Amino acid sequence: MNRTARHGSTLVVLALLFLLPVVVLVLVSLAPGWRFPDVWPAAFSLRGVDFFIRHHEKILMALASSFGFSLLTVAATLFMCLLPAAVFARHRFPGKTLLEGLLLTPALVPPMTFAMGLHFIFIKVSLADTIPGVVLILAMFSYPYMFRALVAGFQTMGEDYRICARNLGASPADILFRVEFPLLVPSIIAGGSVVFLVAFSEYFLVFLIGGGSVPSFTGTLFPLLSSSNRSLAAILTLIFLFLPVLLFVVMDISLMRAYRRKGMMSA
Amino acid sequence: MKRIALTLMILWAALILPVAPAGADDTALQHLPFEQIVEKARGTEVRWYMYGGWAHVNDWVDTHVAAEMKKRYDIRLVRVPMDAGVFVNKLLNEKAAGKQKGNIDLLWINGENFKNAKEAGLLFGPFADTLPNVKKYVDPASVTHDFGYPVEGYEAPYGRAQFVFEYDSAQVTPPADLAGLKAWIMANPGRFTYPQPPDFTGSAFIRQVFYAVTGGHDQYMAGWDADLFAKKAPLLWKWLNEVEPYLWQKGRTYPKDSATLDTLFSRGEVAFGMSYHPSHAQSKIIEGSYPATARTFVLKDGAIFNTHFTAIPFNAPNKAGGMVLANLLISADIQLSKYRPDQWGDFPALDISRLPEADQKRFQDVDLGPATLGSEILGPVAVPEIPSAYLEALEQGWKEHVLDK
Amino acid sequence: MSWISKPNKTTRPIRLMLGLSPLLLPYLVLFCGGAVLTACQSFGVLTPLPHAGGVLDAYTTLLRDASFFASFGFSLWVATASAFLAVAAGAFLAYRVWRLPGRLAPLSLVYKIPLILPHIAVAFLVLIFWSRSGVIASVAHSLGLIREMHEFPNILYSGWGLGMILAYTLKGAPFAMLLALALLARFDIRQIQTAAMLGASGIRIFFTIVLPRLAPALHTGFIILFLYSFGAFDIPYILSESRPGMLSIHVYNIYFKHDLARRPEAMAILTLMFAFAVVFIIAYSRAVSRLENGVRKL
Repeated sequence: MNRTARHGSTLVVLALLFLLPVVVLVLVSLAPGWRFPDVWPAAFSLRGVDFFIRHHEKILMALASSFGFSLLTVAATLFMCLLPAAVFARHRFPGKTLLEGLLLTPALVPPMTFAMGLHFIFIKVSLADTIPGVVLILAMFSYPYMFRALVAGFQTMGEDYRICARNLGASPADILFRVEFPLLVPSIIAGGSVVFLVAFSEYFLVFLIGGGSVPSFTGTLFPLLSSSNRSLAAILTLIFLFLPVLLFVVMDISLMRAYRRKGMMSA
Repeated sequence: MKRIALTLMILWAALILPVAPAGADDTALQHLPFEQIVEKARGTEVRWYMYGGWAHVNDWVDTHVAAEMKKRYDIRLVRVPMDAGVFVNKLLNEKAAGKQKGNIDLLWINGENFKNAKEAGLLFGPFADTLPNVKKYVDPASVTHDFGYPVEGYEAPYGRAQFVFEYDSAQVTPPADLAGLKAWIMANPGRFTYPQPPDFTGSAFIRQVFYAVTGGHDQYMAGWDADLFAKKAPLLWKWLNEVEPYLWQKGRTYPKDSATLDTLFSRGEVAFGMSYHPSHAQSKIIEGSYPATARTFVLKDGAIFNTHFTAIPFNAPNKAGGMVLANLLISADIQLSKYRPDQWGDFPALDISRLPEADQKRFQDVDLGPATLGSEILGPVAVPEIPSAYLEALEQGWKEHVLDK
Repeated sequence: MSWISKPNKTTRPIRLMLGLSPLLLPYLVLFCGGAVLTACQSFGVLTPLPHAGGVLDAYTTLLRDASFFASFGFSLWVATASAFLAVAAGAFLAYRVWRLPGRLAPLSLVYKIPLILPHIAVAFLVLIFWSRSGVIASVAHSLGLIREMHEFPNILYSGWGLGMILAYTLKGAPFAMLLALALLARFDIRQIQTAAMLGASGIRIFFTIVLPRLAPALHTGFIILFLYSFGAFDIPYILSESRPGMLSIHVYNIYFKHDLARRPEAMAILTLMFAFAVVFIIAYSRAVSRLENGVRKL
């Protein structure tokens, strides 16, 4: 009994902290005029939804753009980290610990500190106001998550697959792309999800480097947050929540299917 | 190692050096007949950078204006939300970097931002006087100066605004003048505040107080006078600091912009809102954010009015498109739709008496709603904007003497 | 492919460099280069406009400005409080979630919601809940705790940055949970059962058995969350008060709201923030490893 109560209270606390906000967001999105002291909205209206429908083109465009540059950021970090992670997982060299520490710092120091220094140069070389510019900056402080995941992935994989493939006569490129890469997919997804979320939810750096030319979902949401019509901001926040969840679920399922097809489920 | 560092430094130095200016055939645009400009712009995209904090204004631009641009000129309008100070800074950066092809085609701008932009050579022009709708409908005398700074055709009129206070008639009786307002604030601690300058509306509020406590606006119209300012400004700081302890949050903090103040007012946290748009309260009632009993009032001491404009950056990639949009914005149809409180409620910048009679009638027929004051009340209290040098000194001084004191 | 060589042996430096280059190049050019450029501009070198004054002008201006120190101290306070709260709450909740029986475990996944929401949306949630006209005030009113709005404690504008701390904590706690749960997954539950059988209380078990095991994850979490709250812009832009402001807002205002002449000043703040972050990382990890060595010796 005591234990049930304790588990129950755990779930209640989790729900209050993390689920209740979503419920309230749903209410706010349907009740633009919800005011103190009503605990429950006095009147519901679809005005926020209506606004969303009228503007769906612009909002969806921003959403697609955010999705696009976030996925590109994931790709960029993967490109940056794949070989170095293999080196880190497999070789010992002097100064390795120090270098690893240094390579992880971009995730820690405030990104403003180097991004604003780069801004003026980006304008010079026409990287400002472009998607590549935004992707470079986002990749620059999100890659450590990909890097750590890949190093861990290479370490768990060990050497056996590679040695086996080499003994069977596979070329180094074959080994990398046909043997190791598929085995790394879970690590890539683990690291990639974090990179994706970091890129997808960033506001300021996209605003700074994108200069309004790279539409973003956060950029669309931002001006609405302080507006007195809160229902629209609430709707957009809900979309924000829903889409990445959808992406992750779809990815999980398709991954599972792919593994099952290849008979790798036991691994 | 040293050599690498040196190479990198040289590389950066090379990046820093100004890029050679691209060939500027822009001057041709200023002399082209407008029909040809329209032809040049047809089928293009126009990027309009403007303040993005007012949902109903964004809504109006994204739906109404964008649809008209598409229908009439086959031009795709992209609205980009950005504060005026920020895009002026962005242009300054681009100018310094020698970037000849930017990404902004039209700006919504006025006041000190216009002055800064024009003085730094960030604007294309003069172009406004070649726009057909400006020639036809705008009274030239009404747009010669923007905050005391000569316009000279570098911006096209877009709308007109006058400062009003907002209140809920079911809750409070509004004061008649500034002294009454001060007495009200002190009698009702925590129920009044104003947006933190340099927010547009908050800055306008302190200018109004400045006029009222220093003996009117006339003395400042001649232009910047440092001695005069040094003598008069302390009166303003004194007034503001006297009421500060009685403000919302005891004046420890201020709403960061007018949208935040709107929210505080709409949720009943403060008793008065303020806006640069006389029918803003009506728009908010229609939108459902303000109670139906919301009304507006002005103080006897004066209510500042001004004109806001659109301008084209020096490095706009589609100047022709920017001109077409600026011209459309000052057309009778757009001005009329902008005037309606269910759209935006911004006052027309054109001279209605120059319109064909049918159009004049359409303007007269617009229902501004019970929350909007008539011109018989707004007219007599209207006072002009202060020259922008004062405005900047007031904003800087506010930070020093009121916020950080 | 040069990087495929015999494992765990010292490899020729050139091959190593080649293998590391996809990461090292952007790291040196963009990250280090960006930081150096920030520093250069703070000295008035390579600024958009030629800088007229002396090399250290920006720094002397800053060091004379009391509001800079106020901002610095305030940022430190917000970062420390929110990172500590987030890590503490995250560790505790992770432990409780880990103890959940298998059939209830999927329900606990709701903790990932704030991980997905961007910072600005979390700030928005804090506004909805904690403003004087917000949900919590309404609930307090209906419970009869307050009679009118103005009796509700002034959470968001208390001058202590509580709104920002709440937002960072709400966003950070699930992150700390994630890190802690990853460690707990490898933790043997029998240790706890044994301790319980020997009569240890739940609190004692948590502090003496679980917490030390979680320490590495919590330290990492603390560093990340602390430095993020210290230097980020998104949440303060929505929730900060007029004074004292967070450093990032200070930088934003100088960078965007003034003419280019004050650019070195903005860059000087950024340089100091960068230096502080680096020093903090080194000092913190040193302190932690010394502490752990000490524990091991005992």
